[in-house]
Amino acid sequence: MRRAVAPLLAVTVALVLADSAIVTLALPDILVHLDTTVAQVAWVLISFNLVLGLAAVPTAVGFARVQPRVVGAVGIAIFAAASAWCAVAQSIEVLIAARCVQALGGALALVGCLELLVALYGERRGIATWITAGVIGTATGPVAGGLLTQAFSWQAIFVVQVPFAVLAVPAALAVRTGPLPTPAPATVRHRPAVRPNLTLALLSAALTAALFLLVLLLVNGWSHSPATAALAVSVVPLAALAARPLARLLHPSAEVEIAVGCFLVAGGLAGLALLPSADLAWTVAPQALIGLGLGLTIDQLTAQAMHLRLPRIEHASWTIGARHLGVVVGLVILTPVFTADLQDAQVPAQEAITALVLDAPMPAQDKVSLAEALGAELTDQQGQVPDLHHASATADFGPEVRPAAAQLERDLDAQLERAATHAFRTSFLVGAALALLALLTVIAPHRRRPA
Amino acid sequence: MSPRLSALGLPAVAVALVGGVLAVHLAYGGGQFEPLRPADPCVVRDVTSQSERIEALTEQLVLIGLDEAACTLGTSREALTLELARSGAGAQADAQADDQADALRDGLLAAVARMQGDGTLPAASDLVDEALDTADLNGVLEAVIRAVPDSVVDAALPMDDVLTRAIEDLDLHALLANLDDQAALEAQVQAAVSQAVVDSLVARVRDLV
Repeated sequence: MRRAVAPLLAVTVALVLADSAIVTLALPDILVHLDTTVAQVAWVLISFNLVLGLAAVPTAVGFARVQPRVVGAVGIAIFAAASAWCAVAQSIEVLIAARCVQALGGALALVGCLELLVALYGERRGIATWITAGVIGTATGPVAGGLLTQAFSWQAIFVVQVPFAVLAVPAALAVRTGPLPTPAPATVRHRPAVRPNLTLALLSAALTAALFLLVLLLVNGWSHSPATAALAVSVVPLAALAARPLARLLHPSAEVEIAVGCFLVAGGLAGLALLPSADLAWTVAPQALIGLGLGLTIDQLTAQAMHLRLPRIEHASWTIGARHLGVVVGLVILTPVFTADLQDAQVPAQEAITALVLDAPMPAQDKVSLAEALGAELTDQQGQVPDLHHASATADFGPEVRPAAAQLERDLDAQLERAATHAFRTSFLVGAALALLALLTVIAPHRRRPA
Repeated sequence: MSPRLSALGLPAVAVALVGGVLAVHLAYGGGQFEPLRPADPCVVRDVTSQSERIEALTEQLVLIGLDEAACTLGTSREALTLELARSGAGAQADAQADDQADALRDGLLAAVARMQGDGTLPAASDLVDEALDTADLNGVLEAVIRAVPDSVVDAALPMDDVLTRAIEDLDLHALLANLDDQAALEAQVQAAVSQAVVDSLVARVRDLV
């Protein structure tokens, strides 16, 4: 058990930080299963990140005088119970409420786990483990969520967290920590590091665009299964792993590394805004840029924000707050943009489909039947990408028309993919702009304090 | 590695990677991956049909007529088609519906003129058999009409004249309102064509007298 304690705590940190993104791939299923709206389902993401972002620092300050193993164990227990509650939620309101409780538990768990990892591994290695676990969780969240949703259901992404958390509670309680440190005097109480936290927030907002929007494009726009989308976005964590060896090879300073990371994320998002087709292969290179950027920045920024600052746990909490409020800012900015763009995309998509049907090499009567079936499909699928295959099947073509009808269906699908891809362009560009803003905070001249 | 090189190495790699990805995307049409844009309806396009006889003629007239009407209204053929489809559900103001009906009537008349001009309008005799198959006529009368030589049918019923009369006689408001009701639509068109045939025959007789 003792050897498993630290890995279990690290996994808990990864789970909590993965949770800000793990539901992304499940959102389409949640939307249907809980019979809700796009705007409401976005709150499944927003609520968790908002509560975690706002609760992190007060939790660290408020529980500074409580044993970390107690804080950690209680936090993990609340997180586990709320995860189970999420899994059994039968309405969007209950799910959002459960997500808020989950985030409160997550805040306690993150605060407790940092101190426990430091107690187990020492200052340097403990903080490094906590930061690395967080980066891994952030990068792999969408992948795990997609695979679980496809293999089981959206509830599975919450159920699977429970056993890990149940094991982590005794693990947290088993850690022997020394006596609580005396409160730091005001003279050694450092201010939060504004610049790295601001960069972290802006970059998190940009990364939200990368992961959240890309997943929506793949599943809703290009009609891929959650599992396919999960595999597709696994490029990001894989590329993030390559970032450290690259940095070691070229020995840049931390500032250069962070600036380059922001630039790579911006470039990757611009690449996603300029996709030449709806082929998954075109998303690989932009995602690799984003993954490299993520791997170069998040851990460096977190380390910078905490470097030699006391109390350590408060400054770690500032980084959690910055990251999750950044995600919220990203969602708040991007959700209305892409929702409006998707709405606007309907007219050109319908016109393109109309043109193809009118000019299709098919008998007029078959065109009329198809038009009626498409009209019914568009009415039924209001606000979502219609199922054109269902419309073709409804039209029931004769054998001599089927080859032309099959070609038409492929052409119609291509038009829908074009419309959906085009609808996400502005949002990806907004994401790229957020990453460039993050870059600006890094390269802007520092104000020198008088000696 | 020198400090200068280490300061420039990673940024140079990043610029090369981002520049390369964006250049390849743009080279393969990254900026133009958009839905098909509707063609200009005022530019004449070839209209063909995979259907036969009356259905083919109707399809060609409608497609050309839609282009002409869209050109008049300053919209695209596709946008007009979608608006007309919605107008069946009463989604449009009266004034707009009037404009559309007028433009569509003028468009269909222009389509007849264009097909007559380029020789693609079929002769009446080509369509008589199919028309008789669907018409509810007395058997003897049907046999008599079938016995009439094609040259006589074509002389008595110039296709452009029949179609022009039918289009002018059509109540397009009612027709557009019946777009979802195939039976009502066919009945309305059939009545207009039958009346046009009678009117055209009467006109020929008057010309002879």
